[in-house]
Amino acid sequence: MKSKNKGQIRIIEAFLAVLIIFSSFAISANLTVTQKATRHDDLASVGLQALVKLDSDGSLGKYVDDGNWTALRDALNIVLPAGVSFNLTVYDDQMHQVNTAAVSNGGFSSQQIVFVEYVCASRGLVFRCYIMHLYLAVAA
Amino acid sequence: MKKFWRKFKANSSGQLLIVAALAIAILISSTTFYVYELSKKTNSADAPSISDLVLALKQSTINAMISSIANVSNGGGKTMLTTNLNGLSQVLRSLYNIGICHLAFTPLNDSNYDSGVWLSWNTSGMGVSSVHANFTLNVYGVTTKVSASYAINVTTAIAINGSYTTLEGGEKLVNLTFNMYNEGEPALAKNMTLLYENLGNWTLVDASNNLCIVDYGNGTCLISFEVNIPSDFVQVSVHVHDLRDIFVQANTTCYET
Repeated sequence: MKSKNKGQIRIIEAFLAVLIIFSSFAISANLTVTQKATRHDDLASVGLQALVKLDSDGSLGKYVDDGNWTALRDALNIVLPAGVSFNLTVYDDQMHQVNTAAVSNGGFSSQQIVFVEYVCASRGLVFRCYIMHLYLAVAA
Repeated sequence: MKKFWRKFKANSSGQLLIVAALAIAILISSTTFYVYELSKKTNSADAPSISDLVLALKQSTINAMISSIANVSNGGGKTMLTTNLNGLSQVLRSLYNIGICHLAFTPLNDSNYDSGVWLSWNTSGMGVSSVHANFTLNVYGVTTKVSASYAINVTTAIAINGSYTTLEGGEKLVNLTFNMYNEGEPALAKNMTLLYENLGNWTLVDASNNLCIVDYGNGTCLISFEVNIPSDFVQVSVHVHDLRDIFVQANTTCYET
């Protein structure tokens, strides 16, 4: 009986060894996924910082006040890193869409899209508040 | 002895396989974990997202303050500051991505500021248009609660001083030095209007007065113009908009040197 089962036990042992190695690979893969999520947050931070940068001299609100969507798209193209796709939608304080033209640099090819919400107060004589929804993705 | 080792080798070759696999697995896991920890440290230094969020909201309050003083200094009511900040606070409350966001504010009231607004356009050669308010921002996220207190002061100030010399024809050549400041730092003017007083009437200074303005590009301008008035002093008024459309004016009296 003992000699008959010897071969089967070896197979089980080998199977266990393979299982241990593969489980280590599985843990490693999970860690990599978590890291990707952190990069995801970085992209949101980059988007927020880009909007703050444009807003720091009041130009962001002025583009919207003037309805100058081309200039707004060009400005975002400059402040955002190369290889980042974006799509911006501007709403007024009643959540009615303000932008009459697309403020985007093309379609999203990536599966991971980051969303950034930003409140832009314009510096004009008449106070206006805009809510901006910026979608970002790293171009594949 | 030889027999014992042969027997032991035969019996425990499977266990050795598992021990070796375990060792390899530990090596792989520890290496991956080490690399992950290193990259995590770098990322956490690069992405302080909650502080970015507070900075972004602070920027919105700064813009609201600038818009308010631009409005008030151009003839709007002093309540405009409170109205605008209430409007901003309401919009912030309606955001859903950030979390529950509450912005409370207190306009400054002291010897200079009334409901957060200070307009001082006097005759001493100084002009000030300013707003000041204290803010408390609370952001209640799903896992975090952020609280920040800050004060914002938006001030446009000008200073003018000058004198005049009498020319051969009896005209008075007025020389003025003009300085402009935004929050205490030298700033540029968007446009400027000069007036002088002639027999109780304020008259616009234009090209017919040989107006000459030398702009040094650092907030300082040298201005000269000629006037033909009987009084032995020249009352001058300077009206200016800065690049943020904030209006400020100052008056000064120029005497002969």
